[in-house]
Amino acid sequence: MNLYEIIQDTKTHYCLECGKCSSICPISRYDPQYSPRVMIEDALFGFEEELIHNHKLFSCLTCYACQLKCPSDVDYPLFIRKTRELAAAAGEHGDYAHSGTLQSLVGLMARSSIKQRRFEWFSNSYRTSESSDVMLFIGCSPYFEPVFEDIPVRTLDIAEASLKILNSLGIEPLVHPDEKCCGHDALWLGDMETFRILAEHNAAIIKESGVKKLIFFCPEGYRTFKLDYPNYVKLDCEVMHISEFLAQRLETEGLRFNEVKKKVTYQDPCRLGRHLGIYDAPRKVLASIPGIELVEMEHIREDSICCGTSCFTNCDSYSKQIRVGRLVEAKATGAETLITSCPKCQTHFKCAMVARGEEKGPEVEIEVMDLANLVANAIGG
Amino acid sequence: MAEFEPQIIAFCCNWCTYAAADLAGTSRVHYPPNVKIVRVMCSGMVNPIYVLKAFESGADGVLVAGCNLVDCYYLDGPVKCDAMFAILKKLVHILGLEDERLRREMISASEGVVFARVVEEMVEGLKKLGPAPFKVKKGAVV
Amino acid sequence: MEGRRIGVYVCHCGLNIAGTVDVEEVAKYAATLPSVVVSRDYHYMCSDPGQALIKDDIKECGINRVVVASCSPRMHELTFRNACQDGGLNPYLLEHTNIREHCSWVHEDKAAATEKAKALVRAAVKRVYYHEPLEVKEAPVNPNVLVVGGGIAGMQAALDIANGEHQVYLVEREPSIGGHMIQLDRTFPTLDCSECILTPKMAEVGHHPFIELLAYSEVEEVSGSIGQFKVKVRKKARYIDESKCVGCGVCEEKCPWKVPSEFEMGLAMRKAIYIPFAQAIPNVVTIDKDLCVYIQSGGKKCGACIKFCEANAVTPETLLNQSDQIVELEVGSIIVATGYDQFDPSVVPQYGYKKYDNVLTGLEFERITCAAGPTGGKILLKDGTEPENVAIIHCVGSRDQNYHEYCSRVCCMYGLKYAYLIKELTGADVYEFYIDMRCFGEGFEEFYKRISEEGIKFIRGKVAKVTDVAITEEEKGKLIVVAEDTLLGSMVRVPVDMVILCAALESRSDADKVASLFGLNRRADGFFLARHVKLDPVATPTDGIFIAGCCEAPRDIPDTVAQAEAAAAKALSLISKGKITLEAAVATVDEAQCQGCGRCEEICTFHAPKVISKNGVMVSTINETLCKGCGACAVACPTGAISIRHFTQEEILAQVGALIEV
Ligand SMILES: Cc1cc2nc3c(=O)[nH]c(=O)nc-3n(C[C@H](O)[C@H](O)[C@H](O)COP(=O)(O)OP(=O)(O)OC[C@H]3O[C@@H](n4cnc5c(N)ncnc54)[C@H](O)[C@@H]3O)c2cc1C
Ligand code: SF4
Ligand code: SF4
Ligand code: FES
Repeated sequence: MNLYEIIQDTKTHYCLECGKCSSICPISRYDPQYSPRVMIEDALFGFEEELIHNHKLFSCLTCYACQLKCPSDVDYPLFIRKTRELAAAAGEHGDYAHSGTLQSLVGLMARSSIKQRRFEWFSNSYRTSESSDVMLFIGCSPYFEPVFEDIPVRTLDIAEASLKILNSLGIEPLVHPDEKCCGHDALWLGDMETFRILAEHNAAIIKESGVKKLIFFCPEGYRTFKLDYPNYVKLDCEVMHISEFLAQRLETEGLRFNEVKKKVTYQDPCRLGRHLGIYDAPRKVLASIPGIELVEMEHIREDSICCGTSCFTNCDSYSKQIRVGRLVEAKATGAETLITSCPKCQTHFKCAMVARGEEKGPEVEIEVMDLANLVANAIGG
Repeated sequence: MAEFEPQIIAFCCNWCTYAAADLAGTSRVHYPPNVKIVRVMCSGMVNPIYVLKAFESGADGVLVAGCNLVDCYYLDGPVKCDAMFAILKKLVHILGLEDERLRREMISASEGVVFARVVEEMVEGLKKLGPAPFKVKKGAVV
Repeated sequence: MEGRRIGVYVCHCGLNIAGTVDVEEVAKYAATLPSVVVSRDYHYMCSDPGQALIKDDIKECGINRVVVASCSPRMHELTFRNACQDGGLNPYLLEHTNIREHCSWVHEDKAAATEKAKALVRAAVKRVYYHEPLEVKEAPVNPNVLVVGGGIAGMQAALDIANGEHQVYLVEREPSIGGHMIQLDRTFPTLDCSECILTPKMAEVGHHPFIELLAYSEVEEVSGSIGQFKVKVRKKARYIDESKCVGCGVCEEKCPWKVPSEFEMGLAMRKAIYIPFAQAIPNVVTIDKDLCVYIQSGGKKCGACIKFCEANAVTPETLLNQSDQIVELEVGSIIVATGYDQFDPSVVPQYGYKKYDNVLTGLEFERITCAAGPTGGKILLKDGTEPENVAIIHCVGSRDQNYHEYCSRVCCMYGLKYAYLIKELTGADVYEFYIDMRCFGEGFEEFYKRISEEGIKFIRGKVAKVTDVAITEEEKGKLIVVAEDTLLGSMVRVPVDMVILCAALESRSDADKVASLFGLNRRADGFFLARHVKLDPVATPTDGIFIAGCCEAPRDIPDTVAQAEAAAAKALSLISKGKITLEAAVATVDEAQCQGCGRCEEICTFHAPKVISKNGVMVSTINETLCKGCGACAVACPTGAISIRHFTQEEILAQVGALIEV
């Protein structure tokens, strides 16, 4: 694929140069040098070299805020993703956060022929079954755990909470020891080779296991399986986010929760919200827990603001300002807890609260919790 | 078929382990050529990505070595290195890698012989384990 | 990164390398690597003609990056850096790789050694590609020195520097210098009188033309770094006119308000207007604002001092309107000599300190034996009688997991000193309860031996308790010391009149504040950490800041003085050099990348990074005079904002990625 084809494919040539994208873009809000419109302009002028070597190409959060507002329906995030493929082929990558450790791990995972030790964290208090037709996708959580232990973010708590929820609904899901990263980040960073290997591997093990339903607590994995895998591999099973699954069960089985007294606000993860249009399910789940009072932030649903980083790349000063801005918004609601249903949102928000210098920035401390953990608490036991 | 020759990359701090390897040289203590040293100023400078990158580029084993706790030129680099290493170990463990492929040592400047011995041990151990299970990514080498 | 022109030089080192490595082949191979424009092998690269090759190629072939493959960079990196510089190239554009110590000398198989040498050269070429020119900076050193703490350590250091005719500012928190030593009566093992040897030194400090004494003052703020510190000192108001006061003491006599004297360890009283002790330097009075009724009543009551002061040093004006002054200093180095605190034995309830009248600490006993002290040097019980028997308990709060694990080093000796004095002055029976006698210094063992021969009773055992509950007639009215005599293996109960507790020396209660003020680190035991315990005992992780005396660890006076002189020598050598050379390969921050999280600030041992607010955004900045280039911050930084010059991630990853041929 070349730049011309990308422009065609993503309807970029329809751009009116109205600048709506730049005015809505959370990065442009803080980084005066970043403008989706200018990126598009460069592409339309045919400045391919400049574009693929512009390291801001890797700043885009692919949060889809601009796309929803674009009067010409330009798919800017897709344009970015495809242009990054060109950039990656030319040896470019953005500024990796955590020195590229996470990207490297994914690369090694993809190219390794050995069995991972993914489930040493797993405690016997949860019931799983190898012959279940429901599978819970664990994703990269086991790897995030050590990397973010100092923040501290415990992504495996979300996995455990999800298992607890499924068990309490009488489901003993399959957790697959050979699952690998879904490839979301590789895909969005233009590393197609890695993405393909991962997609093919995951599709194969899922096919072999014969599961009918695949449940995710990570919206990125969900989005990747639901919207991207079909372009590369064949998957014969239904995919769902745990919030959707819960919302469904609320209706069909009249689920009951214990009381949890908490005033909360809710962060719509970009992949769950704008990418897949799931805004109601998590709110429905929140509303069903007695004692939970949901107070919404100023920007929600389609207008929600991204947690500030994507693909652990170009996590810079502007990314931090986006997160701080969002946390200030969350605090302004008076909520004691910020609920999200994405492990990465949680990680990014908690990281933004780290202030270990003597001098501190704005006060943005607030409890951040995954929806699955809140529900698991409401189940009790 | 020729015998498998494992590739080892060693990150050695300038002030102790690198100097120990120098001493092994000046005292003509022989060890197998499978190891290649990357000089870092302090073991506390070793970033997990250096080690992962070594595996990515085809290493079968990696050694991270520096001063003893009390000898560090920068006072407490080894403590920082240990903390980094603990996380790194967890990560490669989850990846499924044999723990023996990753080794942390404190070798002081006077321990040329210890350096040579550690390399020998690693080479022997890695020969038994066979090649690291990673296929090198195309274009990974800068 | 266009325009890289790399020159590669492979050394034979006679046969040292060429005997095992096919150097010609390595050079030929190097010539095929990208960006390499010249590749040569030569017999001895470090020789003048060898170096000339590099210099000529810089000029003639326009090479702008150099790789030398020869011996260890620990040996000749500097040689080749200089060669680059002489050739007109920035010295940091060199990469030196080791194919001798790490290759030809340790391997036998020629083919394998040659392959390895090629790999090392390949990796060096990849790495040098990213090298950037660095500037070696120098900074001037301000010859003034600040000494903090006017105990024996601080005084000695100040005098050594001032005698070299360099300006010293000596800041002492108390109204007078002297520290703990001036409270001591006689000093072991020679038993010379502390006051007699110390007061001349105090006077010298007070009058020295190169010492500016800032007593009754405290350092409030330190900024800058080695060579140029800026210091703010708060000179506390004494509420008198120091320039007029002659120290006659009339006001003190007339002042009706009293509290227990700090100097006398609470064993005597002092007034609201006071000189802490007779030989105080500076010899001026100080007013205890909280106690002074005139000040507290806003000038409505008392005022005795005003009436009686003939020098006009105390006036309503000084009493009511004087306030603290901030003095700003500029110095090139700082010596911290803030000393120790005596452990408070009342936290060990079984010893009965503060519960029983005649249980004393070491410092209290020092005051009691001192001729100028509250009892005029007579060893007396609270009721004014002489004791018939005295117990001395060692290791109170020292060598005890519950309090301090360490040995306080001086207690055995001052315990022996007390035994001697008690015997000498009262003839009372003396019992020393010890765990081990530690008499390691010059003349100490001899002193121990001499005391043992005086009929002192040594009981080896840690005292379980001191009680006044008598179980025999003989014990009635006495303090009974209960212990196991571990040498006999039996419990003993020793009835005595007086108990002296050899309380530990511990770090100052405000050591954490002082540590953060001066960028010092503290050990687990609370004392300040030296740069290297053995080889750099007075330097600290912060360049230009030195420590001396008991703030570093408990020690006796001779050791304290030696350490103070060492610290002074350090400061003097800085002054005599006049400038400092800064490390070039240090950390830098990419501000757009930084998130101001402070992880770098937290991890750096040398306090180089500081997170500050720039236009409302938090970013880290590196103080290059403090940074040592250890690289820890770059590992801790989550965003990649920090990198270490000459050891950037890009450079190291390029090198690592090229080591293995695939
Ligand atoms: C009971 C007892 C008996 C002893 N007998 C002997 C003996 O016989 N022979 C012997 O060799 N040693 C003896 N010692 C040890 C001796 O006291 C010490 O070696 C010596 O006093 C240490 O001196 P220094 O200057 O380090 O500390 P210090 O004497 O504690 O002096 C520190 C000075 O710094 C000042 N200061 C503290 N903090 C600050 C601040 N933040 N700002 C400004 N100023 C500050 C203090 O006011 C003080 O003046 C004895 C110790 C004890 C406890
Ligand atoms: S650790 Fe990195 S991101 Fe955090 S303050 Fe320091 S330089 Fe900035
Ligand atoms: S390189 Fe080392 S000394 Fe310099 S700022 Fe970083 S941690 Fe501190
Ligand atoms: S200098 Fe060797 S480990 Fe720090």
